[in-house]
Amino acid sequence: MGRYLAIFLTFARACLVRDMTFRANFILECLTSLGWMSMNLAFYLLVFTYTSEIGKGTGWSKEPFFAFVATGLIINSVVQAFFMPSAEELTEMVRTGGLDAVLVQPLDAQFLLSMHRVDFSSLANGAVGVGLLAWALGRMDHAPPAVAWLLYPLLVLCGVAILYGLVIMLAAATILMGRNQSLYDFWFYLTNFSRYPAEIYSGPWGGPLRMICTFVIPILLVVNVPARVIAQPFTGESWIGVVAAVVAAIASLVVSRIVFQRALARYRSASS
Amino acid sequence: MHNSDPAVAAPVAEPVIRVAGLAKEYRVYDKPEGLAASVRALFHRTSRVVEAVKGVDLEVGRGEFVALLGPNGAGKTTLLKLLSGIITPSRGTATVLGHVPWERADDFRRRFALVMGQRNQLWWDLPAAESFRLHQEIYRIDPARFEKTRNELVDLLGVRKLILQPVRELSLGERMKLELVAALLHEPEVLFLDEPTIGLDVVAQHTIHEFLRDVQRRRRMTVVLTTHYMKDVAALCERVVVITRGDILYDGSLAEIVDRFTTHKIVTLDFDEAPDRSLIERFGFPCEFRGPQVVLRIDRTRIADVLPGILGSAGVRDVSVEDVPLEEIVAELFRADSRAAAVAEAAR
Amino acid sequence: MSDALLAARPAGPLQGLRTWWTMLKICLEERLVYRGDFVLGTLMRFLPIVTQVFLWTAVFGATSRGDIAGYTRNDIVAYYLLTMLTRAFSSMPGLAGGIARSVRDGSVKKFLIQPVDYVSFLLAARVAHKLVYYAVATIPFALVFFLCRSYFPPIPDATTIAAFLLSLALSFLLGFFMEATLGMLGFWFMEVSSIVFGYMLVQYLLSGHMFPIDLLRTVPTGLSGVSLADVVHWLPFEYTAYFSSAIWLGKVQGAALVNALLIEAGWVVVMAVACRVAWWRGTRRYSAFGG
Repeated sequence: MGRYLAIFLTFARACLVRDMTFRANFILECLTSLGWMSMNLAFYLLVFTYTSEIGKGTGWSKEPFFAFVATGLIINSVVQAFFMPSAEELTEMVRTGGLDAVLVQPLDAQFLLSMHRVDFSSLANGAVGVGLLAWALGRMDHAPPAVAWLLYPLLVLCGVAILYGLVIMLAAATILMGRNQSLYDFWFYLTNFSRYPAEIYSGPWGGPLRMICTFVIPILLVVNVPARVIAQPFTGESWIGVVAAVVAAIASLVVSRIVFQRALARYRSASS
Repeated sequence: MHNSDPAVAAPVAEPVIRVAGLAKEYRVYDKPEGLAASVRALFHRTSRVVEAVKGVDLEVGRGEFVALLGPNGAGKTTLLKLLSGIITPSRGTATVLGHVPWERADDFRRRFALVMGQRNQLWWDLPAAESFRLHQEIYRIDPARFEKTRNELVDLLGVRKLILQPVRELSLGERMKLELVAALLHEPEVLFLDEPTIGLDVVAQHTIHEFLRDVQRRRRMTVVLTTHYMKDVAALCERVVVITRGDILYDGSLAEIVDRFTTHKIVTLDFDEAPDRSLIERFGFPCEFRGPQVVLRIDRTRIADVLPGILGSAGVRDVSVEDVPLEEIVAELFRADSRAAAVAEAAR
Repeated sequence: MSDALLAARPAGPLQGLRTWWTMLKICLEERLVYRGDFVLGTLMRFLPIVTQVFLWTAVFGATSRGDIAGYTRNDIVAYYLLTMLTRAFSSMPGLAGGIARSVRDGSVKKFLIQPVDYVSFLLAARVAHKLVYYAVATIPFALVFFLCRSYFPPIPDATTIAAFLLSLALSFLLGFFMEATLGMLGFWFMEVSSIVFGYMLVQYLLSGHMFPIDLLRTVPTGLSGVSLADVVHWLPFEYTAYFSSAIWLGKVQGAALVNALLIEAGWVVVMAVACRVAWWRGTRRYSAFGG
């Protein structure tokens, strides 16, 4: 509701002020993420000098593939900017008792714990992603139909929602276990599978992996569905993907919330 | 010692806090020491159950100012966390303001406040003023009322100049004062304080004591304060609940503690010059000789009999009869309790 | 840890050995504290390779060629697995940052006063760390390599294996001295982390971490007949990951192998000297400014 939005804006404003105060550091962080991204883009360009397509007959030739990559950049930058910073701080909050302070306030704990910090430098990748998408779409022979343009933002949001649910479940694990493995590492390994079009997962090992990553932990729906809608020919079959993504997004949000509430109920709190 | 203030009326019948058989147990895993143990720990970890709070009963009425007094690890902070709903108990029930705390209802959370010493609930990067504004949003405080309350509290603690600085730049004492302001902005009916003066200098402690006394009286808040400093207790509370190792050892007024737990009084004699030791020692009480001064510990029941005899000794210039200091009583209470625990442990 | 060890350290090689043994034991204990982490963590590090393998399979599937830059699909899988191994030798996490930090907070001073050579100390510490890591990571590595043995070509001959091991040892030294030299820049620059980041980026691209350097043979530079792979060949980066893997897979042989080993050894010498010079001049400057 309006109250939550007002509170979120206060947090966002404070983070922006801080980033602008330490401007050099902010710029450095933008350059850092842009740096890694450009290395990967260089790699993809190199690969495309040896082949015209990723996977035979999949339709992922150069421009559609870069549209895929761009979609991934956009979705991941949104998650990295708005949800990951708070989730990463959770270990620290559990350790210092900051979580206690949150639990005592008449506000949804999940909201506070996943959204009180915004990392604006992560949006740099997203901005590049938008540019890359425009470039890729511009060079494709067929322009996406109107319905694709309308569905794309919705599907990007679904992708964000699916990832948000995963972030929350990892956060719930942090609350229960206290510390242990760095959240960020786990996140990297998990989302690594969604870096490329789902078609690459074929064969005796690939098939099952694709199933698991579509139906159990639906990370393959995150980037694939919107990317396919905008960069591949839009057919009746595309609607299956759209529905799947929406269902997965809702399921992700609902399940993650239940898990998170359970974790809070079993919170141990660092004793003193 | 704090005298009864007629302005603080006797608590109303319906208890604000009601605790019955409340218990909290933790499973703690043992940390391996040394290389061999570390390898063994890979395959099998030993653990034990720690009873932080052992079936506690308690009732606190409206407007009472109660101290939970106990050594570190006694379970007082755990009890406070149970009452604020941060953790759920293993057994037992509790209601605060008619709510079950660990259900964390918004209605409940809006009516109480928790302040923990050395831990902050103010947002670290924001200046306190921003945190206050956030508080207003979160607790849905009426803007006009918010302004009035905030100005009042800020001026009372003298922190007006500090509220625009980022909280992380301030000292511990300054932060504590701002925490207290934040906690009281929504005019809670119940205030939980966990070791609020820990790590603070004497001046800051005093300021906070005055502030709490004043604010509690005016708003008729129910306050539960945990501490291991007698100073806090003496300055603020009439009622003391002594807790050790998860159990309530004593629950009553400060005055009663002296009565119940001391067997003797301290008699200090001032002589013209250092007296002959044997003259004093023949009375048979433990005595301490400090030049022309002698400090005796005399059985309360025998003071009336013995004192005239002692005063009759040659050269007594002055005499004072005092209660054993509270610190000592309480420290002895803790020591006796842990001795009993060690004995029980050894017998197991 | 270094404080306690230095305090307990009188002169003499036997004592040095004993100190080193204690260092080793402490490293091992530290590793074991995070019990769940290290077994799972090591295995987890292979996960990104899974994605790469699928990617390359799809690439090969779409082209009609049997090999890309001399690598078959199986070669590429074997290559990525081998680079996990080679990078385990040459990666020095926290080395540059640690040196820069100790310059910044002044803890480097004790090395100026005591008769302990800082660089040798760091090297010995790294050897200890690495040995512990290998001891602990051998099982997951062996497991993965065994499961994937079908991707590998037959085991090479003794000379190739010897060259492989030699290149690994050199890559350890190369990685160490490169990062140590970067860390020494802390004597001149406040923020070394940006420089280190730049180094990491270049490493990522040119060390063979992402792809076999042979793929750069089709990338032109301004000069005729010179591909980007030729230029990278003379830089130290490919010797931290690509080179050893390429030896094992038989992609570098004969005279070219010997030449490359010489280049690698040459770079080790250059960086070792650079490190030494940086230390010498850095400490002079440091003392002049009174730390």
